[in-house]
Amino acid sequence: MNLTELLEEAAGRWPHKAAFIEEGVPVSYSALVEKINALAAQFRALQLPTGCRVGLCHANGVGYVALTFALWKVNAVVVPVPTESTPEEIADMIAAMQLEAMLAPKPSAGSVAVGPEIFFTRLNPPSPPDNHGLNLAFIRFTSGTTSERKGVALSHETVRDRVASANRALGIGPDDTVMWCLPMAHHFLITIVLYLSRGATIVLARHVVAGPFLEAINRWRGTVLYAAPFHFALLAQDQSAAQMPGVRLAVSTTCALPQNVAEDFFKRFGRPLVQALGVIELGLVSLNLDDPRGRWNSVGRAAGDFRVRIVEPDASGCGEVAINGPGMFDAYVAPWLPRERVLRDGWFFTGDLGRLDAEGFLFLVSRKTAVINLAGRKIFPEEIEAVLNRHPAVRESRVFGRAHAHLGEVVEAEVVLDPPEATLDSVRAFCREHLASYKIPMRFTVVTALPRTPVTGKIRRDSAAAVGG
Amino acid sequence: MVEPAQIETDLLAFVQREVFAADAGVTADTELVPAGFDSMSLVRVLVFVEQTYGLWIPASEITGDSLRNLRALAGTVARLLQARQP
Repeated sequence: MNLTELLEEAAGRWPHKAAFIEEGVPVSYSALVEKINALAAQFRALQLPTGCRVGLCHANGVGYVALTFALWKVNAVVVPVPTESTPEEIADMIAAMQLEAMLAPKPSAGSVAVGPEIFFTRLNPPSPPDNHGLNLAFIRFTSGTTSERKGVALSHETVRDRVASANRALGIGPDDTVMWCLPMAHHFLITIVLYLSRGATIVLARHVVAGPFLEAINRWRGTVLYAAPFHFALLAQDQSAAQMPGVRLAVSTTCALPQNVAEDFFKRFGRPLVQALGVIELGLVSLNLDDPRGRWNSVGRAAGDFRVRIVEPDASGCGEVAINGPGMFDAYVAPWLPRERVLRDGWFFTGDLGRLDAEGFLFLVSRKTAVINLAGRKIFPEEIEAVLNRHPAVRESRVFGRAHAHLGEVVEAEVVLDPPEATLDSVRAFCREHLASYKIPMRFTVVTALPRTPVTGKIRRDSAAAVGG
Repeated sequence: MVEPAQIETDLLAFVQREVFAADAGVTADTELVPAGFDSMSLVRVLVFVEQTYGLWIPASEITGDSLRNLRALAGTVARLLQARQP
């Protein structure tokens, strides 16, 4: 099975429908398939072997979509590389994921142009990667320190199954127009692939100002908004009287919806935001279609064929959230760890703490894992700590997310300085040199010691520890 | 207080390094949105401003005028910083 078949099938049914609208220019389903086939022909000429891991660093837009599907068409494995990555981060990713080629917006030594601002560079990993016989489509790399960083590998079949499951909840069809404003390097499968397999139209919304964004929603008759709380906060500030009559679903994802954003949006547009829980290992786990107003802070009931349970709940019913369902990830990469060895009795333990109410609505309480989510970008504290700890004046550090009224979460750091009279200025400058901007801690606090777990002496990452920070 | 010219210099250095390609030739007068400035770029600029000046630009100040170019944005930041001086 190959995911390009889903798109080709849609193109067969709705050839003249717009698949994508970028800068006001529609690209039909048949034109998109032609674009993909032309790129695939170039990749074939480059003789990419089946299962070849290719890093894709490209701006959001129809070009990104075409490159991804073209790589799938020639049975390459797509590894998204966020455009905001620093050279150091990219080098780390190339090594950890054993990338065999890279598509990037700039030429490098030995690169071949395959399109405007798309350069193909062959890389030679010291040891060839092994996909363990899987029909892989995708590896999402999450950086971090050596022990924490991992790639999540998904086969074509897995993505197909999770897309089908997600759509039992979202109900996307050819009458839908999705207003898109998230980074494709971070969001693609249960979104873009799903929309394009169902004949929907995707409108790239780059808007940074509420008025034009709202105008675009109405001009293109948007039916679905799928965005981060940040985007909804922006829209809620619109001072005009315009509504969004065509919108049937406004999904808030990527991080917890702040109450003020939920309230402001409802006040302005008279419609509630629907929270969703997406997990890279699993897909679209839940969606709060049933009571988005009353239970605005719930991520809803299990979506599609997913099941959710709370492991070892405490007196208040709160425990670790475990999930199973269709289209769960195939393996972790580097080191390779097949799904069967990660799941426990078929369940994936998310590391999130939550509770279920009597009617099956899931409420996330806090995270056991420490991933920080900044307006749709996942940030791993260990990665930032690794950089901080390389600074000569930093003895140790702890990085955590703090709730931010506008962005969901922002990055903060505690550092133990040695010598104590060292200043934070050079630490900040060091971060600017080595980290993509959004990963740089918004606030630094100098402390004399870090909170540690009593038994193992590890740095504490639970939210209780962060409260005092 | 921070001078508007300094803010403009800081913002320009930031977007040249982190938002636009260094060879894109962005200046303080470049119209941002036509140059490809999107909501993700905006998040990064908002975080940069908060990190640098301790100021969160409220959504009500995110307007076509304030985001026309970096000179206008620097003017907005300077005005907001000025307004909170005791």
